[in-house]
Amino acid sequence: MSSLYIWPQMPFLSITVLVIASMIFLYLARTPMHQALESLNDGIAGGLERTAEWIKAVVIKMREKNKKVLLESNIAASEDKIAQEFKRVEASYTKHLADYPALHLKLDECITSIDADYKECGQVVPEAPGWNDAVESIASIKGTASGDRVIEKMLKELHKSAVDGEKMALSEMQKISTKRHKILSSLAPVWKKIQKTMVEVNKRVELVLETSGKIENYMTEYDKIRNGGDDSIDMLSSKATKLFIFSIIVITVASFGAFVNFQLIALPMSELVPAGTRVLGMHVSDISALVIVTLEIVLGIFLMEALAVTNIFPQIASLTLGKRRILLYAAILGLFFLASVEAALAVLREHIATTNAATTQALAGDVATSSDAGGSNITVIGQATLGFILPWILAMVAVPLEMLIESSQHVLSKLLILIVLLVGYLVGIIGHILSTIMKTIIHIYDAYIIIPTQIENLIKRKA
Amino acid sequence: MIKLKKYLNASVLMLTILVTGCSDNKAYETAICALADISGTYAKEKESMVNIIKAGIVPTLVPGDNLVLITIDSNSFNEDNIKGKLKLDYRPSEANKQKIQFAKKLDDFANNSSSAKYTDISGAMMLCSGHLKSTQAGTQLMFIFSDMKEELKPGIKRSFNNDEFENIDIAAMNVIKLNEDSSNPQVFRSRIKKWKKRVLKHSAKSWNATLDPTEIANYIDDHR
Repeated sequence: MSSLYIWPQMPFLSITVLVIASMIFLYLARTPMHQALESLNDGIAGGLERTAEWIKAVVIKMREKNKKVLLESNIAASEDKIAQEFKRVEASYTKHLADYPALHLKLDECITSIDADYKECGQVVPEAPGWNDAVESIASIKGTASGDRVIEKMLKELHKSAVDGEKMALSEMQKISTKRHKILSSLAPVWKKIQKTMVEVNKRVELVLETSGKIENYMTEYDKIRNGGDDSIDMLSSKATKLFIFSIIVITVASFGAFVNFQLIALPMSELVPAGTRVLGMHVSDISALVIVTLEIVLGIFLMEALAVTNIFPQIASLTLGKRRILLYAAILGLFFLASVEAALAVLREHIATTNAATTQALAGDVATSSDAGGSNITVIGQATLGFILPWILAMVAVPLEMLIESSQHVLSKLLILIVLLVGYLVGIIGHILSTIMKTIIHIYDAYIIIPTQIENLIKRKA
Repeated sequence: MIKLKKYLNASVLMLTILVTGCSDNKAYETAICALADISGTYAKEKESMVNIIKAGIVPTLVPGDNLVLITIDSNSFNEDNIKGKLKLDYRPSEANKQKIQFAKKLDDFANNSSSAKYTDISGAMMLCSGHLKSTQAGTQLMFIFSDMKEELKPGIKRSFNNDEFENIDIAAMNVIKLNEDSSNPQVFRSRIKKWKKRVLKHSAKSWNATLDPTEIANYIDDHR
């Protein structure tokens, strides 16, 4: 500091002269200095603000693209779902309504039979002979004593005939009634048959309606997605995020399973595969064990594709049923083979572990005790079972894997958008802070040259 | 044609990664050298030495590791001093058989009553370092079972190269205290200190004179 003094023995005077000189210099240079500072502000802070605006514009474009991709993929998925549902409805119609014509024919026959029986029941009951007119006309004859006896005899005969006729008519009516009752009672099983058939038809139709009922919901959902409103975007986005989280959880658990599986077979693989070299730091035997585990996952993917549970490879989806069956059997066979190999390796592992323990004991000088064979057998059986079951469980990982792949694009895009937006905001904030700092520097500069500035203002006012 | 070129390029790239990724196992192997002092003052410790090697060192060896047993006698820089060599097979079953066979060799060594008048520790260390370097193992360990009191035979000269013990971790095991050590502990301490200074001066990675036999397995695991 003392080296700056003009008169080292008078520091206060030196400093005063320095301050005054600097004030005069900075006052005279104020215009170019202001311009320099403002250019710096425009350059740095302005540049950062423009960068922030550009980032925001990029974020908007990314959001639009993300939204478009989400809509398109969901529309395609929805269309696939509806097409599959139509196929299912078709199959359902074929299955449930295949023998509807037979049912209809049965119904027809029953109704025809009832109709015929009903018509038969409707025969007119024979009437009693019409003696009334004859009796009336005979009774109206003007009679004599001898004529009365003839009329009486005629009437008695008529009466007798009427009574006989009545008896006959009654008997006839009883016969006909019996016959009618018989016919009517035989109608009951036919009614029951009709009722049963109608119930069967009702059930079939209900099943078909149930299957086809879902299409309506899918179509409503499809319409909503096609319209692309904010609600549907939010719904699709949250659905994708939910799928992503669940599939991550399932795959994480499956990874632990794969790790356990790997540990189970890595040691015995060193007996089968020479471990003299390493690739990328890993023993070849470890890599072989890893290959077996990944092969199981791959076979599981093919199995799920063949069963049409997943739809990762369109080429497999477009195969005929026969070829898919071949693929299915091949995948099951492959998995069974690998599961058997793993079970065998698990048994070998137990054998190696026992031998290692016995060797360590022998080296330590302990006599190897024949440990309970029961316990050892349980371990061996347990490991073998684990070695056989784990591949089948790992094969299921194809389903969450497909969900993860489908949902990860949207979720990762969302994350990227958030990160880019955050960077944009940070850049904007930094730009704003720098701009404020530059303006503050300009004000401090003006404050430093306030005395000459005020003198100038005074002179100007007087002038 | 363009697709074919793309596939070819991808295959070449993968092959390159695989080939460059393939590495020799030696960098991951451990080579251990056990120096057993059979000179007069230490000769009666043979059995406990062999027990420590059998129970502490041999079980920790994994397929691919090396172990060599060298005796410290009057003139240790001699191929005849190598009493046992073990290179474990990569198959666990074979490795276990080799361990049992080596243990038998160690037992035979323990039952052998030979001893020496002088103690040439440096010669044994030089022989051991040469052997360890020849293995090119990633981890090289030297265990010295001795009282660390060197008495060279007249006419024997021993001097270490500057890089004699490069990449080698050295541990003095089962260092028994002699009569003069018990009378004046500083004699013992200064002897151990001199050895430490000497080995570290000649590029040893580390020196340990306080390793408990029960901690050998952890020591080997820590240095792998």
